[in-house]
Amino acid sequence: MFSDFRPSQQTRRKALVFLTLFAVSFLCIAFLPSHLHPLGIGAPAHAAQDAAKTLSPISIDYPENGSIFPPGITPPTFLWRDAAGTSWSIDIAFADKSAPIHVVSKGDRMTLGPIDPDAVADSNQPPRLTTRQAATWIWTPDADTWSAMQAHSVAQAATVVITGYRDGQVAYSQSRLQFTTSRDPVGAPIFYRDVPLMPSAGVNGVVSPLAPTAIHLIHWRLRDITRPESHTVLKDMPTCGNCHSFSADGKTFGMDIDGPANDKGLYAVVPVQKHMTIDSKDMVSWNPAGQVGTTRVGFMSQVSPDGRYVLSTFAGPDLKLGDSYYVTNFLDYRFLQVFFPTRGILAWYDRTTGQRTPLPGADNPKYVQTDGVWSPDGKYIVFARAEARDPRPAGQPRALHALDASETQIQYDLYRIPFNDGKGGVAEPLAGASGNGMSNNFPKVSPDGRWIVFVQCKNGQLMRPDSQLYIVPSTGGTARRMRANTSLMNSWHSFSPNGRWMVFSSKARSPYTQMYLTHIDADGNDSPAILIDNTTAANRAVNIPEFANIAGDGIEDIAVHVADAPKDPGPKVAGALK
Amino acid sequence: MTIRPFFLMVGMLLASAGALPGQAPCTPPESMKAQLQDNPKAAAYTDLGVWFAGQKQYACAADAFATSLQKEPDQKDAAHIAFMFGVSLYFSGDFRESIPALQEAEQLGYRDGSLHLILAGALDQSHSTRDAEQEWRSALEFDPESSTALDALSNDLLLDKDFPAVIALLNVPRLLGQRTPQQSLNLAAAYAATGKLDEAANLLRDGLNTSPDSLDISNRLAIVLMQLNRGDEALALLDLAVKQHPENARAHEALGLVLAQSKEMGAAKEQFERAIALGDNSPEAKANLAKAVAALGSEK
Repeated sequence: MFSDFRPSQQTRRKALVFLTLFAVSFLCIAFLPSHLHPLGIGAPAHAAQDAAKTLSPISIDYPENGSIFPPGITPPTFLWRDAAGTSWSIDIAFADKSAPIHVVSKGDRMTLGPIDPDAVADSNQPPRLTTRQAATWIWTPDADTWSAMQAHSVAQAATVVITGYRDGQVAYSQSRLQFTTSRDPVGAPIFYRDVPLMPSAGVNGVVSPLAPTAIHLIHWRLRDITRPESHTVLKDMPTCGNCHSFSADGKTFGMDIDGPANDKGLYAVVPVQKHMTIDSKDMVSWNPAGQVGTTRVGFMSQVSPDGRYVLSTFAGPDLKLGDSYYVTNFLDYRFLQVFFPTRGILAWYDRTTGQRTPLPGADNPKYVQTDGVWSPDGKYIVFARAEARDPRPAGQPRALHALDASETQIQYDLYRIPFNDGKGGVAEPLAGASGNGMSNNFPKVSPDGRWIVFVQCKNGQLMRPDSQLYIVPSTGGTARRMRANTSLMNSWHSFSPNGRWMVFSSKARSPYTQMYLTHIDADGNDSPAILIDNTTAANRAVNIPEFANIAGDGIEDIAVHVADAPKDPGPKVAGALK
Repeated sequence: MTIRPFFLMVGMLLASAGALPGQAPCTPPESMKAQLQDNPKAAAYTDLGVWFAGQKQYACAADAFATSLQKEPDQKDAAHIAFMFGVSLYFSGDFRESIPALQEAEQLGYRDGSLHLILAGALDQSHSTRDAEQEWRSALEFDPESSTALDALSNDLLLDKDFPAVIALLNVPRLLGQRTPQQSLNLAAAYAATGKLDEAANLLRDGLNTSPDSLDISNRLAIVLMQLNRGDEALALLDLAVKQHPENARAHEALGLVLAQSKEMGAAKEQFERAIALGDNSPEAKANLAKAVAALGSEK
């Protein structure tokens, strides 16, 4: 027996010399580039054991340990990487003593879904697997298996053990994870935009995020996460639709619409119906006399919880796009635009009076005040604020890519202000989301009013590669980085009407943005990100998702007729908007 | 007009230009000959350079671009032509001369990540490591996920023993999905050098699961595991590596070393012998075998 071996004193001395020589050579050569140096040997080890009994860890990439799935969601695809196994068993054990599930997988490789040929362009690349994804094995439970897995993982977590085999039945690798199924349904569909990533350089060399000839390729879709596919409610729109929101009761819908003639001063507010129509009569013009030109006028508009008001960011009638927004577009389809306001005030539009009024306390031209959102009771507003500045100071070089140091630097802080029936008040910085050297932006208040989830990044806002989601008490406090954050871009989040789920978009798996869900409990603890599968083609991006408090099939289609100028002459403007 | 040093260099290069020994002569295509005879303007030489580059006759391409630049130093596309000149020099193997050409292209306003990639490569080839690092970083400004730049810059930083810089460069969430075996090795090396052996082991394990055929990662992971006193894992790892690469001498050598560490001298000796039989004739392999044999002899 090896364990009975006892070396002599002489052998011990020789072994010591032997090991010392090896150890010295190892210390000299270890951890330098492999092409430069040979292998050495490390420090003394314990006695050798039977190699086959030591299972090497498998890297399970999805779902992550501790994941919480919504009830009824379509079966997820498990993802893992394993250097040792050539076939796998997947064993699922349940704490409720129900029969375990045993599945054998020969190993299927991760693949990309179908692509949309209309979204292929010289300025983008076909989706491709990353180095990791190319090494990834997958397993998707069938509907019955997944249904059983969900049913028995509600009260306590289920444990999934993946074991890798080679040479027949010899186990070489293993890892495990636990997941639960929430009692909280998502309970509402997600309304989102489905876009091709086809930046385009015009004849003058100016880059636009999407050529005018391709705007019709934008789709708007509704997804009930219990169904395997999304439903397209709007496509072939002759103009761009942008920021959109629903009232808390799901009865009113608002959307920025660029039209007609690319007038970026139009806003549509319509009742939510199975078959919706947006006509000229439904549109408000933030730009009634054309005094602002064809520029973005309202920004990040938000319908109030009761549907009566619309809150938006305005630069004022004599400021043009170039004076109030930093905008740079790139031909790199992965992050094709940097866009954020550097000047602006909050103003509210009253649908009953047709009047637009600056919000005192958030109307100081010394600052940019933007991203205003309502508390669930409509009593206060949370918004992002920074000192106003020129969007593009003279002599500043043009940024070549997102996060280029040449971007105009701006770090927003979150503020809270009472709405006070439009009279506003004193804006107070939100502790945990201000004065921290980072850009704190895009707040959303949870439906129970207890939490604010916001985006933190180094500079600016919107589509930032480094954006991370944070949660902070709505009255301020210590902000926590959310568990759901993925490795690349986490932004544009929206709470489900019951407040227990949040959807957000991320580029973690692909430059073609996808949507994820996270569960948030009453104490604001969130869970690892759950991918919403099959939301679009593999070469299209889904973004700006918003929960709508309607039935899963609450919107069948939306017809947009914006060829004519709006009949409404536009809101009366109260007070100075500069 | 002031003739800048760059264009003087172009002239000097032209004086010694032409096909390199062993290469095809710089013969323009018939379709271009007439244009070059009748109207030998800068643009014609630029077209010729592009044609030669397309034929992978890079020395000839460099010659043609140099002629174009000398004929019309202030032409509209001088920056791009200087870039193509530099690239042609690089691919013809003239790394040292490609450096000023590419630098001139940048000064003339050529802005593209590939310029910095090639310039950095040329600087590395010329052993100007610090300057190369700057250029790799410039390339990353254009494409933060460029594996060429990340691999090479982390190599350079490691040679400088700037371990924190390697970690700052590679321990970025955005790069997780794209990490190459070289990046895994370099980041693990930086972790290990700064005493973070557990991080190094986890990272190498993850890297191996992404690149199961990488003996470099497998061997390096075994070393880290031994340092962590996790010899059983190291043995299991290298046992599998030998199964996966039975004809690879390095795999056997590595397993032999770990077995020796584990005092399994007989098994170690077998692996050292197998490594030598597979062609590892290095002095280290022979010395290892001799030590294992000696250790066995002493045991008897």
